[in-house]
Amino acid sequence: MTELKEVTNEFIRGEIDEFVERPEERERMISMFAACRPDMLDIGAALIEGEDGVVDELTRAQLDAGTEALEVMDDGLIAGMALVGIKFRENFIFVPEVLACARAMKAGMAHIEPILSDAGIEPVGKVVMGTVKGDLHDIGKNLCIMMLRGAGFEVIDLGVDTSPDDFIDAVEEHRPLVMGMSALLTTTMPNMGKTIDAFVDADLREAVKIMVGGAPVTPEFAEDMGADGYGKDAMECVAIAKQLVGVGSGA
Amino acid sequence: MPEPLDQEAYQRRLDRVTEMFGSMMETVEDLTTKRCPYKNKEGRCTAGFGCRNQRKPPQKGERFICGGDDKLDYRRAWEVP
Repeated sequence: MTELKEVTNEFIRGEIDEFVERPEERERMISMFAACRPDMLDIGAALIEGEDGVVDELTRAQLDAGTEALEVMDDGLIAGMALVGIKFRENFIFVPEVLACARAMKAGMAHIEPILSDAGIEPVGKVVMGTVKGDLHDIGKNLCIMMLRGAGFEVIDLGVDTSPDDFIDAVEEHRPLVMGMSALLTTTMPNMGKTIDAFVDADLREAVKIMVGGAPVTPEFAEDMGADGYGKDAMECVAIAKQLVGVGSGA
Repeated sequence: MPEPLDQEAYQRRLDRVTEMFGSMMETVEDLTTKRCPYKNKEGRCTAGFGCRNQRKPPQKGERFICGGDDKLDYRRAWEVP
């Protein structure tokens, strides 16, 4: 059995010791991290801390030095995220910290994507996402983006309070296959329909598939406003996006 | 001998990440019935909008302290434009 002291990174050793309580999980974490090179552990540690700038820098340096992209993914980014998942499940960290770690993972993946592209591996599809005009709630959208990126989509995040014109400009600029709109409020939900109407008026409705979601949105409302898909949560968002781009069977 | 970088190898990583994130979403589902999702581990508010539970931080420039008790429906405290 591998021992905790065989994990060479002090920070990760401390994280396992403090936060991983289930014996079988602890054993798995120790054995996984003990098998990683110190440089990879540094990337994992920065990801666990949610330090996207550090992950960006370390990942680029490793790839420049000739480290295989898959090793960086496995032993740096994915290994780090596995520990983040345990800390989250056990309520040591919460949604804002998880989203910071996901941003850090994206910072690392940004350097791996060109390598994937050179190897002929392209994103599953491109998605533009935003919270509609007048709505400043972003957690649901951010969780959807985290799931979509994790599933291999390229996502352009338009942020919150996104006007119909901003959605149109983004679709014209990025040419995504799918556009996602989120709203948390019943007062802003109608702005989804207004945005779809703006796409019709701009003669762009056929240019992109539109999916919608958010707490007050129902499948009926989505259909009435003319959306192509509705997802009740981040998991369904990925299933719908895959369905809309023609990958997998959908929700 | 390193594994070759191809679609299958990459897809296996994506599947693993999707599985991990999927588990996290189950935690999110459960957690958001008990705790505001904008409240970080330090009990500070990360929302980009007003909330009646926001309390002045001790230092200027710091995040608001969340004064919610996590027992009420925290969404009722959110202030909307």
